Amino acid sequence: MSVENTVAADTFTEPPLIKGNQTFASVTEIISSIVEKKPKKAWFVLFGLASSLVMILLGSIGFLVWEGIGVWGVNNPVGWGWAITNFVFWVGIGHAGTLISAVLYIFRQKWRTSINRFAEAMTIFAVICALIFPGVHVGRVWVAYYMFPIPNQMAIWPNFRSPLLWDIFAVGTYFSVSLMFWYTGLIPDLATLRDRAKTVLRKRVLGLFSLGWRGGNKQWKHYELAYLLLAGLSTPLVLSVHSVVSTDFATSIIPGWHSTIFPPYFVAGAIFSGFAMVMTLAIIARKIYNLEDIITLKHLERMNMVIMVTGMMVGYAYSMEFFIAWYSGNEYETFTFLNRAFGPYAWAYWIMISCNVLIPQLFWSKKIRTSIPLMFVISIFVNIGMWFERFVITVTSLANDFLPSSWDYFSPTFWDVSLLIGSFGLFFTLFLLFIRYLPMISITEIKGVLPQADPHYYENHA
Amino acid sequence: MKLEQKIQGKEYWRSLDQLADTSEFKEFLHREFPENASEMTNPFTRRKFLSLMGASIAFAGLAGCRRPVEKIIPYVTAPENIVPGKSLQYATTMPFGLNSYGLLVESHVGRPTKIEGNPKHPSSLGKSNRLIQAEILNLYDPDRSKMVLKNGTPATWDAFKSFWAGQAKGFEKKNGEGLVVLSRAFNAPTLYRLYEEFLKKFPKAEWVVYETVSDANIYKGMDIAFGKPLQPVYDFDKAAVVLSLDSDFLLTETDDIRATKNFAAGRKVDEDGKMNRLYVVENAYSTTGAMADHRLRMQKGRVPAFAFSLLETLKKQGLAIDSLPAPGGDYSVDSKWLTSVAKDLLKNKGRALVVAGKEQPASVHAVCAMINEALQANGNTVRYLEVKDALLPDADKLRKVMTALKNKKVKTLVMLEVNPVYDAPVDVAFSEALKNATQTIHFGMHADETAALSSWHVPAAHFLESWGDARSIDGTPSVVQPLIEPLFDGISAVQMTAVLSGEAKKSAYELVQDTWKKKLVAGSFERAWRKVLTNGVYKKDTFKAPKIRLKSGRVQAYLKQNPITIQRAALNDLEVVFTASPATLDGRYANNGWLQEMPHPVSKLTWDNPLFVSPNTAKELGVENGDLAMLTVNGARLKLPVWVLPGHADYSITLTLGYGRTASGRVGNKVGFNVSGLRTSKAPDYVTGGQLSATGETYLLANTQDHGSMEGRPLVREATLEEFKKEPHFAEEMVEHPPLKSLWEEHKYDEGYQWGMTIDLNSCTGCNACMVACQSENNIPVVGKEQVSKGREMHWIRLDRYFSGDLQDPEMVFQPVGCQHCENAPCEQVCPVAATTHDEEGLNVMTYNRCIGTRYCSNNCPYKVRRFNFFNYSNELPEIVKMAQNPDVSVRFRGVMEKCTFCTQRITRSKIDAKNQGRELKDGDVQAACQQSCPADAITFGNILDKESAVAKSKLSPRNYELLGELNLKTRNTFLAKVRNPNPELVGYQPVV
Repeated sequence: MSVENTVAADTFTEPPLIKGNQTFASVTEIISSIVEKKPKKAWFVLFGLASSLVMILLGSIGFLVWEGIGVWGVNNPVGWGWAITNFVFWVGIGHAGTLISAVLYIFRQKWRTSINRFAEAMTIFAVICALIFPGVHVGRVWVAYYMFPIPNQMAIWPNFRSPLLWDIFAVGTYFSVSLMFWYTGLIPDLATLRDRAKTVLRKRVLGLFSLGWRGGNKQWKHYELAYLLLAGLSTPLVLSVHSVVSTDFATSIIPGWHSTIFPPYFVAGAIFSGFAMVMTLAIIARKIYNLEDIITLKHLERMNMVIMVTGMMVGYAYSMEFFIAWYSGNEYETFTFLNRAFGPYAWAYWIMISCNVLIPQLFWSKKIRTSIPLMFVISIFVNIGMWFERFVITVTSLANDFLPSSWDYFSPTFWDVSLLIGSFGLFFTLFLLFIRYLPMISITEIKGVLPQADPHYYENHA
Repeated sequence: MKLEQKIQGKEYWRSLDQLADTSEFKEFLHREFPENASEMTNPFTRRKFLSLMGASIAFAGLAGCRRPVEKIIPYVTAPENIVPGKSLQYATTMPFGLNSYGLLVESHVGRPTKIEGNPKHPSSLGKSNRLIQAEILNLYDPDRSKMVLKNGTPATWDAFKSFWAGQAKGFEKKNGEGLVVLSRAFNAPTLYRLYEEFLKKFPKAEWVVYETVSDANIYKGMDIAFGKPLQPVYDFDKAAVVLSLDSDFLLTETDDIRATKNFAAGRKVDEDGKMNRLYVVENAYSTTGAMADHRLRMQKGRVPAFAFSLLETLKKQGLAIDSLPAPGGDYSVDSKWLTSVAKDLLKNKGRALVVAGKEQPASVHAVCAMINEALQANGNTVRYLEVKDALLPDADKLRKVMTALKNKKVKTLVMLEVNPVYDAPVDVAFSEALKNATQTIHFGMHADETAALSSWHVPAAHFLESWGDARSIDGTPSVVQPLIEPLFDGISAVQMTAVLSGEAKKSAYELVQDTWKKKLVAGSFERAWRKVLTNGVYKKDTFKAPKIRLKSGRVQAYLKQNPITIQRAALNDLEVVFTASPATLDGRYANNGWLQEMPHPVSKLTWDNPLFVSPNTAKELGVENGDLAMLTVNGARLKLPVWVLPGHADYSITLTLGYGRTASGRVGNKVGFNVSGLRTSKAPDYVTGGQLSATGETYLLANTQDHGSMEGRPLVREATLEEFKKEPHFAEEMVEHPPLKSLWEEHKYDEGYQWGMTIDLNSCTGCNACMVACQSENNIPVVGKEQVSKGREMHWIRLDRYFSGDLQDPEMVFQPVGCQHCENAPCEQVCPVAATTHDEEGLNVMTYNRCIGTRYCSNNCPYKVRRFNFFNYSNELPEIVKMAQNPDVSVRFRGVMEKCTFCTQRITRSKIDAKNQGRELKDGDVQAACQQSCPADAITFGNILDKESAVAKSKLSPRNYELLGELNLKTRNTFLAKVRNPNPELVGYQPVV
């Protein structure tokens, strides 16, 4: 881990990342005890709620597969509705996790240590939620495996020109790398839990997953290198995954989709929405488990700044789309954008603009930026706004494309809504299970940023 | 988009929504999204549709190989011709009122699956219409009546025969007094012979035509003018100027196919730069109105005023024509329009034609006949033929019989393939009157509303199951040859009539032969008979033009006796017009899913019959699309949904007959509203005195096209004849775009067959024949009203309809759009599993088995012609309906994308045939189903590499353009731009209405 020069820090007073005069032991105790103690009542209530939403999800998927795609509101011009909106939304959510854990790691942003674990978990769960949608949205789920390049006697390969296939590779890679990265980071903590375990079963299971971690110097050396390599591997994924997802739209010829701005615009949007989701979750977890010392206001404020910056980036993208629509002189594209803002879906467009562009501007004020209730509300607005961004892109472009004769209006059905709600249920269920059974904050990394971790600490405080 | 406006930059012709500045128009657009209308009140949901469809699999045992017992020709000569998997074609005839259509029916191992027109037949000329195409589904209608019923309980045919023998004995004594037969009008030698025998046996019996919509007014008009009910036969190909007075001769009038073909022939502008000119005066926008170069919207009741004024104006302009007594009331019409039209007609003497619609009163037809006579149309653009073997409609006689029935003077009432309980006008009170007859006998394909109240019901056979004969409108006789043994033991019309006239022993086959033995006297009868069957037509013994002259004195005398008063409808005195539905006609096609789901050509509505009203009147009445309004007329009230139709005459309301059936079967029951209850026998076509008020309720209407404006986009490209001559390549030049270059070296497609198509927008009338033909050929499922309202109709070819210009008085154009078969297909690139690919002949093909249903291809299709199986539409069909399916085309499972294939099965079949014969394919060997049916010959298809092929030549037309060509998709289907031929005097003129 990096070394903090506390001598220098004295003159350059950066407030401590971890508050409350924690020691190594107290950090271990705070974080491990959450997993080891019986969960609080609130956990059971939330878990009950979330898992019943999972039932709705399973029921909706079952009904969908039994009946057909027709149970949704999709129709002829609008072939993709909420499912793809949800897919892009969830993939986007995942991005913040990777950004926080990998990119900030490489840039040695130590404030990430308090949030990186559950940001990574969030990535994995969001990607799981995301993967449901392309899986079930196809007309014949039972042959969805045709999309994979599996050698077969017909010698048919998937179509490598299709962005949907690129999606499979991009999201597949992203999921596996994120999972490895997350798991690698977990190993020392799992070992800590193993060492504290009281029952045999617990010892065995944790022992299995901590892969014989002993905490020896050599192990730490390998571990650090592996973690760095994985961080390096994840970093380009932050840019590539959503860029590839954006090509689903950008490579098509539909006005409103056919645009070169999409890759950077999608990446910015993904980070934007991901940070908002991390905020939402962190504020709740911090409150329930009294982690105010570890996830400090400083962390939250910095994340708010990221939200504001990325919010302005998407705002720039929105306005640039309009500019290009006008500047290109392409009448179809011009129409599409005017139609977005003033057509039958104007309501969705203005929800998007307000939530993504206008509301995050409030973070210019330090008061708002550091107010927990306000930032919680704003993070939820951003989540809503980013869902609508995907809805606006997917649906409005399809609903009114080249030939006015085929224009139609998309209205969601009960099953569209239930799948979205169900996916939130799955996300929260997984998340609740995670905070119940795994250390939601990296014990090792927190220790690494404690003042005591400085090799010279005891020289000064002896 | 028009040429002259292109020059002015982006100020295209005013599209509907450039009026959007007005709140009125915004509202109109807003209501175009019917999802916002409140809950569906129609019980006919998809779920119900499917459960009903699935409910009856009772006929699963019906095998597909029920051959007729009698000899039908190809079987007799060469039964070994039957190769499983290979279809045979038989000629037969579809009787249709006083016309008949000669057909070639495709049969797969004894199972008829597809109907085409017989090129040798004068009424079909190898083409067809939507109704002909849909007959195949009627044949396999699982709701057809399956047994003789006596008071609603099953009985036998023999029981009926012995019952009738008893009846006949009784009536013979009384010379048939008290015996009445109601039948449809027919034009059939054998039926007429039996009809005469019936009257010989029962001289005092009455046999009257009962038709809900008929040409009665036309025959009466001819009777007034010529002293004889002659049959007018129009030759539109010879006409340079046509004036239609409320005549939708391209779609709903008799002889529509020939009219369309000939009319379209007069608009092939490429050959000599000449085209005909059409003026239409009409109430509601029709497909004929859409083809018009000038259209005058006018209340139906005021069209007679136009006819009279025209006659006067022509006389004033120097035409030798006798004047007529002026009609009463205000009969002034827009004088500039009128004089310009009159001048044009006069200038084209001998090449001009005035036609009036069947809903116009007899006097208008007589006036038109006078005008035509004076314009020397007779013998040039119109022929008047003397009909024989025909039972003509006669309103007066029908009224007499109905009175007799009311007065209990009718003992036994026989109803042959009519359904008066459903569609009799309200003043007849038919269901009540029916009780006055002791015995009521109903003969029909369905145990319908009338059958339910009759003491006997006999199931009728479909024409594809029966022997018979019929004449076309010009008298050409042909034989109705069965292709299959009656599926439900139905009795043919000939057989039934024979039994009624005491000829119970002979079979229909023998009876028809008996008739034809008198015709085919030269040489061996057997050989001549076979020839008639094989050809499907007998060109001799047609109607002749009699040597009688039109007498204007008769017309004058008639008008003196029956003066016409012209009324002007107003807001609280609305005109109410009754028209036959283009889909269900008078209700007899109500149980046909293809027709129910076929969009109305103008409103694009399916599964319903709302009232049509003009935008102005709707606004004044405070109603809009999807509102339920209460219509009061003729002392009756009915709640009907409203549909605002641009171009409709003000203060006039058009109602559509043929909906609201209660006993038509699972498809047609409770679809729409039965408007017969508002109709009287005195004024069955139109009446004034209607009142309409909003009820505040709404109703879901399912249309296939929400948006009617082109938004100024160059989709249908149009110019006037003058502009076209000046700038023949106007269509291509209408769009400016950067050079279309590819980053890659593209596939050349320069060998073998390369399939391509052109669609001539100058010929297309928007009649929907191609759509139903495609549905029949390609096993396209019917999805039901709810699915259509969600935008999930499955038609592979659709007819886009756009309005342009003034909302009250717009122009209307049609554009058939199927898969454009782009060489650079955007759908192919995005499919992750390569389920849609290009073949070496330039077809964009679908591999259904490979498709996983991502719908990405559909999203990326700029024409949105791909259709997705949102549910398992085809699987839930009753077994019997599956027999109507084409075995050469895969039936698609749910979750699979489908679309137009350019009839790839037909291409393959022709290639195999050609290969077996050791030759290359010739131009014309392959016909796509849409092309084959198109009565306007608007669609050309073939090998574009063959310089001599029709399609290659067609693509050389200066009017040729690619739709959205600027996307560089290299579509194999291209359009030929529309050209209108306006009268220079009337260009830009807004007539006063």
